[in-house]
Amino acid sequence: MIRQIWGSTIIACFFGAVGLSFFGYQIEPWFWWFSSIVTSTGVILFVVQRGLTLFVLRRLLEAMFVIWVIASLTFLLLRVLPGGPFDSEKALPKEVMANLEKKYKLNEPLVVQYWDYMTGLAHGDLGQSYKYISRDITSIISESLPNSVQLGIYALLISYLIGIPIGVLAGWKPGSKLDFSAMFMAISGVSLPSFLMAPIFILIFAKGLGWFEPALWEGPRYYVLPTVILGIRPAAVIARLTRASVLEVIHSDYIRTAKAKGLDAKSILFKHVLRNSLIPVLTLSGPLAAGVLTGSFVIEQIFAIPGLAKHLVLSVSNRDYPLILGTTLLFSLMLVVANLITDLLMAIVDPRVKIS
Amino acid sequence: MQFTVKMGLLLVFALGFSGCTKKNSGQLEYGLKLSETLRINLEQEPPSLDWSKATDTTSSLVTVNLMDGLVDYNLEDPDLSLKPALATEWTSSNNAQTWTFKLRKGVKWTDGADFEAQHVIDGWKRLLLPATASEYAYFLFDIKGAQDFNSGKLKDFSKVGVRINELGELVVELRQAMSFFPLLLTHHSTYPLRQDVVDKFGDRWTNPENIVTLGPYKLKVWEHDKALVLERNETYYGEKAITKNILGYMINEYSTAINLAEGGKLDFQPSLPAKELPLLKQRSGFRQISTLSTYYYGFNTRKIPFNNLKVREAFVHAIDRKQITDLLAAGHAPLSGWVPTGMFGYEADRGLGFDPARAAELLNEAGYSDRSKFPKVSLAFNTNENHQRIAENVQAQIKKNLGIDVQIANEEWKVYLNRLRNDTPSIYRLGWLADYPDPSTFMSLMTSISENNHTGWKNPKYDELVNKGATLTDKEERRKIYSEAQKILLEIDVPVMPIYSSVRHVLLSDRVQNFPLNSLERWTFKGVSLK
Repeated sequence: MIRQIWGSTIIACFFGAVGLSFFGYQIEPWFWWFSSIVTSTGVILFVVQRGLTLFVLRRLLEAMFVIWVIASLTFLLLRVLPGGPFDSEKALPKEVMANLEKKYKLNEPLVVQYWDYMTGLAHGDLGQSYKYISRDITSIISESLPNSVQLGIYALLISYLIGIPIGVLAGWKPGSKLDFSAMFMAISGVSLPSFLMAPIFILIFAKGLGWFEPALWEGPRYYVLPTVILGIRPAAVIARLTRASVLEVIHSDYIRTAKAKGLDAKSILFKHVLRNSLIPVLTLSGPLAAGVLTGSFVIEQIFAIPGLAKHLVLSVSNRDYPLILGTTLLFSLMLVVANLITDLLMAIVDPRVKIS
Repeated sequence: MQFTVKMGLLLVFALGFSGCTKKNSGQLEYGLKLSETLRINLEQEPPSLDWSKATDTTSSLVTVNLMDGLVDYNLEDPDLSLKPALATEWTSSNNAQTWTFKLRKGVKWTDGADFEAQHVIDGWKRLLLPATASEYAYFLFDIKGAQDFNSGKLKDFSKVGVRINELGELVVELRQAMSFFPLLLTHHSTYPLRQDVVDKFGDRWTNPENIVTLGPYKLKVWEHDKALVLERNETYYGEKAITKNILGYMINEYSTAINLAEGGKLDFQPSLPAKELPLLKQRSGFRQISTLSTYYYGFNTRKIPFNNLKVREAFVHAIDRKQITDLLAAGHAPLSGWVPTGMFGYEADRGLGFDPARAAELLNEAGYSDRSKFPKVSLAFNTNENHQRIAENVQAQIKKNLGIDVQIANEEWKVYLNRLRNDTPSIYRLGWLADYPDPSTFMSLMTSISENNHTGWKNPKYDELVNKGATLTDKEERRKIYSEAQKILLEIDVPVMPIYSSVRHVLLSDRVQNFPLNSLERWTFKGVSLK
């Protein structure tokens, strides 16, 4: 009972935050504190109870190693890339260039620069941006990440809300008209690029019908188009995966047993088929979430959303080394964490899964 | 059961928040009224509002509205003459080597403090300090001792040629005569500065709650990567701004900005995509402004075949510039001279024109009558659709008029810049935009000591003329000197081939009046009114 209430509270906090932010309410700090304490203690208790402590600790250590490798590789690759951060159409006099290099310690040997960066990183200091003069990378990230996360979570929710029902219906009645049209839509959803879909949607729903706003990030009317467009591709992927999985499940022995027992179609579908066919979808959720969060560059550009994906891309053309490193590390971290969460969720949903 | 628990909790939270404040209830964001707000597109996040450090046009656009310099442009004058700002009068002595500025009295900063001459010196000192690492420090290198102070050779700033005299005037001593020195003081990097504010807040001094300015507007909101709001400065010393608020969005996607402008949500879009000009030209808010800029190709004169003057001449004669500007259909003006259209020193008939017969002849004379003997040459540019179209056209014209195959190659911007310095291509593309409306900004580009001269070409006579031109005060004499220098550059030695001077296209909504469209692309909003 306590576990149920705990789980429900976490889910309620999550949907509460999503819903409130969608309708333009400022979320009070106490709510953040409350949700994060409930969630983190819940996760810790779950991990301990299921005897997963060692597994999680090992995964976290692995993650740190991966992050270190990525940081070192990115650091080195950046120095190999031709062109420096202060090259511009108007070439700078030598004195000025020397001052800049001294300020950002670019005149030091590479080993020293690397050591400085790594010690900074260990202290949680990502350095200052070259392009956005005097701004800390951590503040750039902390100001733009919430918008990207907001966009990403809406898009993911939409993709599950659309993808799973369509996939289940298509898989439940394979070969039907419904199946055919659902899969046709899914294929289109996967193959249409967002830079094509966005202008079409803007033309129809913003300019034509006037239901939504064509750009900016100010409220519900602004959120709909970018979220839907970003969510379509994962929705299509989820629909196809769910369909395949449902097809597999309905031919399994336990479904035949359920049918033989005389259960009605509805409860077979919801109680037995759905729960079991969602396991592969869940496996995909980690990479999918990370993909939606990193892959939103085009959407952020087209809809002028002040998110982080823009920095990930533009920092490279600006050769803004600290910002490139900061965003790269953050996204690697997100991917690693997303995978860990997926593994833990698997343990909740599928009792057969043994993690060791 | 589970469902009931979930719904119950959700309800509790929903009730808990129904009392919360809702954002954006006003007509515009940040509670601004549409009728008193000019909505512009800044196109990107300003990299810095610290005017000693900012180098880009977006930051400059904001700072010129927040601050005033010692002098300002008279944007209503087509010649862009200077008018008083923080300095009421200025005189030069010692043949334009010493300049004296009489400063305005009764100017207040936004925190109520009085403006003093020391603030100008503080600003310049900070600009030149090696630790500031300002890219625009070289703007003041013409002041005596400034370059040495910036390189760290001179530690004592009092030895730099700027001081306050007994009358409270600012006296500047230059290392050599410079007739256009006051023009530099319109630039944001030379604005006065409150060192006490910078010391107090450090890197955060440009945050809206900390920044202290004295211009027609003050910074009200700066939400990074999203929007910036300027509000009329009621204590401004000059005529107060007419429009109360400026709301600047940071949208760097053309189609997005155009959509917003079309939907009546944006009043000023400062640039437009070349490809969509035919459509956009029909809009009522479409405006075209010529800019003080040059688009050119440079030859690497260190290497075969462009170490041969005749080959360079042949290539320039082989190009019909009008064909290029017609192809772009953007309204750019073909340019055979070096100083662009609309600037003092511009000469319509300077430079080598289109003459395919002469071009072929010159190439024969250079020893390439057998065209197959001509070495492989590549034309390089940074990746960009416009540059690509131009390069392809030039490639076709060279093929047609000279019978030579030129390879074209594009590279990413920073890679390209790196290559220009270390391994200059046979032909390269670059452009130059005037820092201030004086031909010296273009002429000094090609001197032997210029970091921007990638051609490898040097001519002491050209250097001498350019240096002399900077010192002269007599306009006609200057024009002659620059004419002679341009002749060397474009007709005698030919290390470069100017192609056109460009125009800028903007969208302005119908409700905007008195918008200062000018060739310097200096957008100051204090005189703008809204219908």
